[in-house]
Amino acid sequence: MSKIDENNIDHRLKALSQIEPSSKATNRAIQRARETLINENKSRQGTNTRIWRSIFKSPITKFAAAAVLLIAAGYATGRLSAPEPMDVEELKTALETSLKSSLEPAIRQDLIVQLNEQWQSAFAVSSARLKEDLQQQVRRDLTEFAAQTLAASGTLTNQRLIELIRLIEAARIRERQQVAAALEQIEQDKIRLEKGLVTLAAQTNELLGTKQ
Amino acid sequence: MPDRQKELFELLDKSGANLYALLTRLTLREDIAEELMQELFIKLINSRSFDKAGNPEAYARRAAINLAFDWRRSRKRNPLRLDQIREPASNDSSPLAKLVRAEEMDEILNAIGQLKKVPREAFVMRYVQQESYDYIAEQLGKTSHHVRALCSRALNRLRNLLGSNQHKSSGKET
Repeated sequence: MSKIDENNIDHRLKALSQIEPSSKATNRAIQRARETLINENKSRQGTNTRIWRSIFKSPITKFAAAAVLLIAAGYATGRLSAPEPMDVEELKTALETSLKSSLEPAIRQDLIVQLNEQWQSAFAVSSARLKEDLQQQVRRDLTEFAAQTLAASGTLTNQRLIELIRLIEAARIRERQQVAAALEQIEQDKIRLEKGLVTLAAQTNELLGTKQ
Repeated sequence: MPDRQKELFELLDKSGANLYALLTRLTLREDIAEELMQELFIKLINSRSFDKAGNPEAYARRAAINLAFDWRRSRKRNPLRLDQIREPASNDSSPLAKLVRAEEMDEILNAIGQLKKVPREAFVMRYVQQESYDYIAEQLGKTSHHVRALCSRALNRLRNLLGSNQHKSSGKET
């Protein structure tokens, strides 16, 4: 760290607190965050829907649902066509047992299979992605390393050199302008001198003529 | 989850601009601040402790400050390439003045990054966000007197870090 006095620290902190991002950038960032929230929520909902859809796609679940419908229809028909009222409790128990025995194992089995498949595929995808990411990262880091060592360290120097070159160029232009002005001045002085010499020669001739 | 999303939308409407300004001041880059803002809200929607947080705004600010200083640390480890360098965020106009100013601010922000989390948060709120001691105390769940002491100690630590060539601190203090 360089040596900085207290006033300088205060000054820098003040300058830091005065930095304001442009309103355009602020709006863009807020909009992007909003879209991210919406997408994140959608992707979560999508995952839940996919699980249920995949469960109901299965033929076992379809069969189980058909069995439930048939049992319900049979129960309704039996109840309507029965000569005398049946024991409701008995029927309920029978129906529950039948439903449990036919539906529960099938759904459980199906759910386990579906979840297992989903987890396996998710795991395979994420592990492949991780592997690929890692390879890319390593490759990127290796290729960047050599370039970064020279480029990053010289960036500020380059920019300052550019600034310095601009300043030198401006000074050189000013110098040229001054030289041009001086040359012009010399040219004018020369013309004046020539005129003076001509006048002097003429006056000398005149004087000589008068004396003769 | 819809409740969380609704709460985050409200937070975004209420404090989104402040959080973005804070991230810009701590990174000195609008493009990076935008990235971190997105990352912040992904973190918040997936965070389990966000629901338990008594003050969502303070929680989000703390997460934003941590993200910004994590970015500063990772940038030190992986220096930028020439093509990755963008114009630093600054209010000056001349390119040379901007560069000098950005370098000075980088130096002071790196020193702030060496403070511990709680004093760092209090210091950032006081000196970077220019918040009052009472407001900071309310947000951090501390007394105003405690916050003043935290800020004062953090400022002394910062002066030590920036004021001496010999005293190069390797660990965190304060």
